[in-house]
Amino acid sequence: MMLLEHHAKEILAAAGVTVPYGVLITPGNLGDLPGIERPMVAKAQVPVGGRGKAGGILKVKAAADLRPAVEKILEMTIRNHPVRSVRLEAMVDYVAEAYFSLAFDADSATIKILVAAEGGVEIESPEMAAKLLQASALPDPASAQAALESLLPALPEGLRAAILAVAERLIPLFFEQEALLIEINPLFIRADGGWIAGDAKLLTDDNALPRQPKLRELIEANPALYPEAALKLAQGFDFVKLDPEGDIGLVTTGAGLSMQLVDEIVQRGHRPFNFCDIRTGGFKGDPSRLIQVLKWVSSGPKVRSILMNFFAGNTNLAELVPLILIALKELPELRQPITLRMTGNGFDAACAILAESGNPIRVETDLERAVEAALAVLKEPDHA
Amino acid sequence: MLDSFVAADVPVLVQGATGRSGRSQTAQMVAYGTNIVAGVSRRDDPETKIPIYRNCREAVQATGARASVAFVPPLDVLPAVLEAIDAGLELIVTVAEGVPVHDALKAKAATREAGMRWVGASTPGLAIPGKLKMGFLPNVSLAPGGLGVMSKSGTLSYEVCYRLVGAGFGQTLWVGVGGDAVKGVRFADLVPLFAADASTKGIVIVGEIGGSEEEELAAALIASGCQKPVFALLAGRSALEGVTMGHAGALIQANIGTIETKTAALRKAGAVVSQSIKDLIEAVTSTLGTGG
Repeated sequence: MMLLEHHAKEILAAAGVTVPYGVLITPGNLGDLPGIERPMVAKAQVPVGGRGKAGGILKVKAAADLRPAVEKILEMTIRNHPVRSVRLEAMVDYVAEAYFSLAFDADSATIKILVAAEGGVEIESPEMAAKLLQASALPDPASAQAALESLLPALPEGLRAAILAVAERLIPLFFEQEALLIEINPLFIRADGGWIAGDAKLLTDDNALPRQPKLRELIEANPALYPEAALKLAQGFDFVKLDPEGDIGLVTTGAGLSMQLVDEIVQRGHRPFNFCDIRTGGFKGDPSRLIQVLKWVSSGPKVRSILMNFFAGNTNLAELVPLILIALKELPELRQPITLRMTGNGFDAACAILAESGNPIRVETDLERAVEAALAVLKEPDHA
Repeated sequence: MLDSFVAADVPVLVQGATGRSGRSQTAQMVAYGTNIVAGVSRRDDPETKIPIYRNCREAVQATGARASVAFVPPLDVLPAVLEAIDAGLELIVTVAEGVPVHDALKAKAATREAGMRWVGASTPGLAIPGKLKMGFLPNVSLAPGGLGVMSKSGTLSYEVCYRLVGAGFGQTLWVGVGGDAVKGVRFADLVPLFAADASTKGIVIVGEIGGSEEEELAAALIASGCQKPVFALLAGRSALEGVTMGHAGALIQANIGTIETKTAALRKAGAVVSQSIKDLIEAVTSTLGTGG
């Protein structure tokens, strides 16, 4: 999970990295805005880059400008991410910008350390590529420290102390937090040789959450800012709202097949409301997860059709269908027609259970036909 | 040729053989024909028919097992891999979902050092249809045939292979490499194997967004000079940047791991990249002929 800049900076600050003074503003504390004694910047908090270009970073010179700036940013959606919070941050004086990051290389199973005597531009840009110094290390702190030190001689002398100081704090943090990426870009260098993190990225490992209590607490304390991670943590499955205006809701299992289904519906010119990997294996005879997901997808204001897809390679449809029937009974208000695609283990028994229930749910065994049927519903006049 | 990766009759032990999932999956692997010779667990299990040992080393000494499939919880995968290395095993398949990346980095470094093949961290496993199954690739999607299959996603590959089997195309070997960011065997590692295997007539890749595995695969295809038809399906075209889409590895960051870069790389290597499952089935059928 990509942490929001504000939380990344809090974690970095706790590890001894200097960061600009900043506070987090959400719609909930909009009525209690701080005073402005000197110019500040209001920065949209989204887990993607390109905020500045999108207009998500605004200078605030006086107290009267603060509320309009924050409200403007909170109304934005940046690269499909609705802005849910704003970091109000002190502006920093500096004379130079540098770059520092720690990441892993999946192919070689090593840690990659990247530094550059310039910063502030996207790391992938061709102008940066030529200036990056990089070293690889085994996945342990001592090896990472040695690799970093091997890069120092190639850096301008005035920058070495700053990079070393940053590394001394971030290398232990990278391993303690089981981070996947820590990036400071830009690292501001001040006139007196001091340094301060201008922007910070911290990508954490969702799989490490069972043994990372502080990260767990952060997610649990901020479910509105990390809705996908909070859901996964609390309920053990994935649900991502893709398009609030989406016209078709998906109740599907399996990450890859669910992603592909979203892609194929988009290719047909429609807008799925959500992505979901409901994980039927985790139901254990309990319909509550199905009820929850059906509630969510049916709450989409433009959702007029629901497609369920279950490929029972290792599960049993005869155990799944009774849960679907209970869920539908619990949701009498559900108005969207459901197309159920199912195939695999227990298919005949599942069909018999459905027939006996008298539920008019449409069943398809072929995925292509199921998608066509679910989309055909959208062409019918809306009776809702 | 595929024997050098996994032989159909390789003696296999099961780590975590007495757990709820381990016990039932072991029974199914035995029923499929896999040569399961031992289980490893801290406790005995009167319900299982295979001999249970306390650790891999004892199991190997007593039975001659050469490969392992581990049904252990995600935080126990790294210790299981290290135990398998210690016992001198050649191949391990780990199936647990949710293995921490830093554990996977350590497991990868250790398996490479030891020269052990690791399929995981999280994968439905591998299969030689009709002969061997390590993991739980579904029987309805398996049939002997001429396709070499490698996949990140379990469910998407189940669907693809189920429909390919329906169209008359089975597999020589199917390896689920899994959807993790850091993993053992990667797509590119399997290219020389499938390229050199005479029974493999075509290669099917079920990939997805995130990471650079498909790009490495494309480079490996070019380097191998492989002339076999290669068919790829890549999921996640519509994924949201910066958000994990179910798989830990399926995370796009700053234009790395997008469908566009992967598609371009694979097409340059001569692969047919389909946008839908239906298109992929049609591409295989039209290239290899009905029931090839």
